[in-house]
Amino acid sequence: MAVRDRVARLLDEMPREAQFPSQGATLFVDLERRETRQAFTPLAVVRTVLGGRGANMYYLHRLLDETLTPLDPGIPLIFGSGLLTGLVPSAARGNCTSWSPESGVLLDSNAGDYFPSFLRMNGFDHLVLYGQAAAWTLLMIRDGVVSFEDATPYAGLDNLDMREAVARDVGGTWARNLAMVNITRAGENQVLTSGIMAGPKAIYARGGPGAKMGSLRLKAIVTLAPTRELPTAQPYKVYNRTIAQKLLATSVVKNALSKTGTPFLYKPSRLLGAMGTKNNQETTWSDGLDAEHFDAHRPGMAGCFRCPVNCRPLNDLHSATPDKYDQGDGPEYVTLGKFGPNLGIDSVASVIRLNNICNDLGLDTASTGSAIGWAFELFQRGIITAEHTGGITLTWGDAETIERLLFQMARREGFGSVLAASTRAVEQGHYPAVALKYRIAVKGLGQSDPHDARILKAFALGLAVATRGMDHLRNRATLEINARINDNPVFKSELYGGAVSAEPNSYVGKERAVRACENIYAVGDSVGMCRFTTKLFNSPSLPGLPEFREQLANVTGLAFTDEALEQCGLNVMGVERMINHRLGVRRKDDTLPDRWFDEPNPSGPFRGERIDRDEFDAMLSRFYAISRLASDGAPEDAWRKELVGALGRDR
Amino acid sequence: MPLAVTVNFPAALQPAAGGASLVVREAVASVGQLIEALERLAPGLGKELDDPLYNVAVNDEMILHAVDRHPIADGDRVEIVPTMAGG
Ligand code: SF4
Repeated sequence: MAVRDRVARLLDEMPREAQFPSQGATLFVDLERRETRQAFTPLAVVRTVLGGRGANMYYLHRLLDETLTPLDPGIPLIFGSGLLTGLVPSAARGNCTSWSPESGVLLDSNAGDYFPSFLRMNGFDHLVLYGQAAAWTLLMIRDGVVSFEDATPYAGLDNLDMREAVARDVGGTWARNLAMVNITRAGENQVLTSGIMAGPKAIYARGGPGAKMGSLRLKAIVTLAPTRELPTAQPYKVYNRTIAQKLLATSVVKNALSKTGTPFLYKPSRLLGAMGTKNNQETTWSDGLDAEHFDAHRPGMAGCFRCPVNCRPLNDLHSATPDKYDQGDGPEYVTLGKFGPNLGIDSVASVIRLNNICNDLGLDTASTGSAIGWAFELFQRGIITAEHTGGITLTWGDAETIERLLFQMARREGFGSVLAASTRAVEQGHYPAVALKYRIAVKGLGQSDPHDARILKAFALGLAVATRGMDHLRNRATLEINARINDNPVFKSELYGGAVSAEPNSYVGKERAVRACENIYAVGDSVGMCRFTTKLFNSPSLPGLPEFREQLANVTGLAFTDEALEQCGLNVMGVERMINHRLGVRRKDDTLPDRWFDEPNPSGPFRGERIDRDEFDAMLSRFYAISRLASDGAPEDAWRKELVGALGRDR
Repeated sequence: MPLAVTVNFPAALQPAAGGASLVVREAVASVGQLIEALERLAPGLGKELDDPLYNVAVNDEMILHAVDRHPIADGDRVEIVPTMAGG
């Protein structure tokens, strides 16, 4: 059945009126025919998986045709904002969902800045895009009115120039009434590590969403409208103050995130011997990249719509001969790790410059850093040579060559074209099969963050079972690294709903920690709350289910219990696993890179630590049992039937 | 021989500690005793340290559990490290 027929059938089932106060419509956009239709997410779906990421899964579950390929225009690209996005402090987020051309499994990526909130100000909670436009197209949403505009003049523009051109042509002001998601040349060229930019730095990064958007010939989606109040069931701003106070009183926000942003995470990983270095061959690196060395280059902080945290460090290199990459936004810890130790770079200035270039080129720093690190190790081992690289010598720490490779990637020139294949370089015939032994990836996705998880078994399990591939933002039990929590077993049990060993390298009970985190993070994404400010991610005292429940009642009028919300989180994971199952994912794919099983950690207080295959397998079985998963990795039959009952059949 | 243990603090704790570092010159055998000694040197600091954000690193190696029992020896370099693992 073609995507248009699937959309038509789905629309037949969807209500034409909002189901609760504040609900925005879902806009279906046929880019080939330049047609739009709209309807509202059914209440039964919202009760099962909420909005944002959860409702995106409903749309993908219903519209996915797994007999196609990810870049086929019949595979939709879906944007969704959370149920509280734009209304609650730090709920500035939205998700972008599809079938990943990079990993071959679920694509689901989250971003903040202003677009997810401003989309709602224009009356839309979700966009479902499909069909290939005849020429480069800009989808304009002006005061809720949608038009298809010619984007040919913008073709070939990267992020900095694109933002300047659109602000000039459209006439709005960023962060006041204008927001945009757009691709760069990398997306146009379907580079598999390309993201969709959502701001100067904000990016829907993981899984190659830029390539997917490029395959639809959609250059950008622009919203232009004054911010407005959405109708809500009850007053909610008084409780917003409670949430904001809770955010700002939390130690990690007050003493770290608001001051330096995430780069302060570098030092603890380094001191633990868990800093992925040179493609995880080593696990500690220079103190020269500790957060305080970025102080002189940080003129201020920025943030997302109505977020009081302002966690995003700006940068200024103060070069004697500045160019357009002298100033920018970031880096986050992920970029610092992936373009610092992962590539053997120990210069703050080099990391900042490469960060600024990636932001302009629209490259996911996690996947791009992973692809480059992998190539460098292959070169070091002689598995690839200068013959493969077009004569370029790959030397750890050579920032100039890495800069050159980034531009080659975006343009798909020379060896950049090989790097643009990301984790698929073997499958596409660029590297010999032996290269897979050194690929740090799970389910076809390179690791998101630089944390080497041979020590912390809960981190390792999370990376193995994450539905989008090797990514810490789906379920990381980050508090496993905090000694005061490990040393308080009663409190720790309360946090995770059962006993979890205090020892970071023990396997005992770690499935509980991952399960609890996966649930609450899925709820957070589905209401639009930032991960940084969701309970269990970085602090036990940040807003969690009770706060979400309270504001959902105020904003939407929908009553949930904390248990019902927890079930929604589990359901989101369940639908994602149903989608992955259709894409061929099985239990064997819930695993880790060979290196972590086979090679002991070479440094730090846990020197010698690795993942034991039998212990890991037993932990995975326990995780399946508490997650209602069958032995094939999909929801067990009774639960699958419940989900299909609420969401409808997949075909 | 008197003990001398140097403790370094991150910027957020420096107001409570009265500076970037403190030297503890009394006999302490463990991190728990060291924190009690720090409280005597800078009243209020102990409460600030009772925060899951802060881990303790001894001689550049971070301790993840059983922190209060972790042994301290003369000349050890101790650092308070704001810690989280998800950015
Ligand atoms: S905490 Fe940071 S990333 Fe999250 S919404 Fe606020 S400013 Fe944006």
